[in-house]
Amino acid sequence: MGFDLNSAIRGRVWKFGDSIETDAINPYYRYPTMAELKLHTMEAYRPEFPQQVRPGDVLVAGRNFGCGSSRPGLVLREVGIAAIVVESVSRLFLRNNIARALPIFMAPGVTDIVDDGDSLQIDYQSATVRNPATGRHVALRKFPPLIEQIFAAGGLPEFAFQRYQREQGPVPPSR
Amino acid sequence: MGRRKAKTMGQTIAEKLLSRHNLAGTDACAGDLVEARIDGAMCHYHADEPMIEMAAQAGFKDGLPRVWDPDRVFVLMDHHQPTLSQALADVNARVRKEVERLGIKCFHDSEPGIAHQMMADYGLMRPGELVVGNDSHCISYGALNVGGTGMTRADMFYALLFGELWFQVPESIKITLTGHKPTYPIAKDIVLHLAGLYGEDVAASMSIEYTGPLVPDLSIDSRMCLAAHGVELGAKFAMFPADAVTHDFLRTRTDRAFESVAADPDATYAREITVDIDEMPFVVAAPHQFGNIVPIDQVAGTAIQQAQIGSCANGRFEDIEIAARVLRGRKVARGVRFLISPASQSVYLQCLRAGLIEQLIEAGAQVITPGCGICQPRVGFLSDGEVCITATTRNFKGRKGSPNAEIYLGGPLTVAAAALAGEIVNPKEVLRGL
Repeated sequence: MGFDLNSAIRGRVWKFGDSIETDAINPYYRYPTMAELKLHTMEAYRPEFPQQVRPGDVLVAGRNFGCGSSRPGLVLREVGIAAIVVESVSRLFLRNNIARALPIFMAPGVTDIVDDGDSLQIDYQSATVRNPATGRHVALRKFPPLIEQIFAAGGLPEFAFQRYQREQGPVPPSR
Repeated sequence: MGRRKAKTMGQTIAEKLLSRHNLAGTDACAGDLVEARIDGAMCHYHADEPMIEMAAQAGFKDGLPRVWDPDRVFVLMDHHQPTLSQALADVNARVRKEVERLGIKCFHDSEPGIAHQMMADYGLMRPGELVVGNDSHCISYGALNVGGTGMTRADMFYALLFGELWFQVPESIKITLTGHKPTYPIAKDIVLHLAGLYGEDVAASMSIEYTGPLVPDLSIDSRMCLAAHGVELGAKFAMFPADAVTHDFLRTRTDRAFESVAADPDATYAREITVDIDEMPFVVAAPHQFGNIVPIDQVAGTAIQQAQIGSCANGRFEDIEIAARVLRGRKVARGVRFLISPASQSVYLQCLRAGLIEQLIEAGAQVITPGCGICQPRVGFLSDGEVCITATTRNFKGRKGSPNAEIYLGGPLTVAAAALAGEIVNPKEVLRGL
């Protein structure tokens, strides 16, 4: 299922600091199933997060979000996070989000315009994230066209499937 | 997108490497998004459940229909060899079937070791190549002048099908190393020092180029540590020049031709940093982040229950040799578990032949089967309140089991000195006696 980058997102903010690592986001060594992960994601920094996060919430973080191992943040989508907005993101976490079509936005200055629990509005089309209560806003970085296409396809495996079919013809149904 | 440079301007290693592999055939400048041909793909467990599910979700109901070139895919089961659970044994059995179905020839499934070290041991990559893998520490291949970088599982899916991937051409950061040839393996200490001075995202998404008068004195072991830790500084690539040391290492390992890659003298760098190792203090990363660097004297006296040397950062001959040198004829402090895990079977054998393993066991150390386990909550769990000092890759909360344990990262000399003393100590004293 593709993700439409241009769909407007507005949600309640969970605010985190710098260099949040993928061990905290996705502690799969200790909790190997998605059901368990949902009960423990981000608890290293905010023990109440797994219990109190609600569908549609937005995760805001500082610099270098998702540093460490290459592990996708699928669990954040599973607990209902509608978007991640960060000062900066580690390259592997960014690739993971692009490849799995999980909305993530780089908006330097975002941590200065919202506090935990505030509402945040993301408008990709106008390249802006805004705190509707205060009117303060910062610019988000648009992605190059190829990356936008990967989001639209629903992720890189889906994008690969489309290309493979284009080049090789339809993939036969399962044996 | 990228700033367009005049064609006459010099290129960095990353720009040259990605220009050479750019499918569009044009010059790649920092900031450009290119689609590039890759020379190799390292998968350590590419066909486990999620990969098969990923294929089905994308539309390939029977899994990946092919790999683009079975000779350029390397499957090494490093995280799960030998298997420590029934579930992992079942995953490995599925991988084995997938490898056979896809016709992949290079498959190490019955040999413990860290994939990155085995890639080097077995000469599976050469200078100037672009080699990706689904592990963040693939960046270590830069030690051999290979454009190595970690990719995600879904990126690997695409790479296996087409042998191509998108890359944003990185800006480059030049790190010049100077000073006298060290008498102990210093690579980890350099990286920790850099993280302390400049922050753990100093090289975020950039390409590090290590250069300077100290480089010819750095072994491949040291270069692999520095390059592996590129990712702990946020980097995409961490490149060393291909010099006499590189050629000497490769001579017995590959007979394929290669074209190494060097920066032009007038290449443009986003940042330049010089480290003089003679002036470098001993530091450690305190819990729970790599960038939480403190001078060692600030934490000296902290009692430890576990010490470790291993991983793709510090599981090599020189890392183990310094431990043996520190402990020779002495004993690990009472109550300290000192775990040492060679990075691969080749490294293990090298240590064994040099007599290091015997000395370490006599001193009371434990030798752990090569592999990634020592750097994860797989081998040597910590309990609540325990303190571990380790020369491995990461010290995140819960990395070794209990989230209420404390993990310090240090160089192998610092770790060995702590194992001997039973507490964190400034290794200067120990060094003087060696």
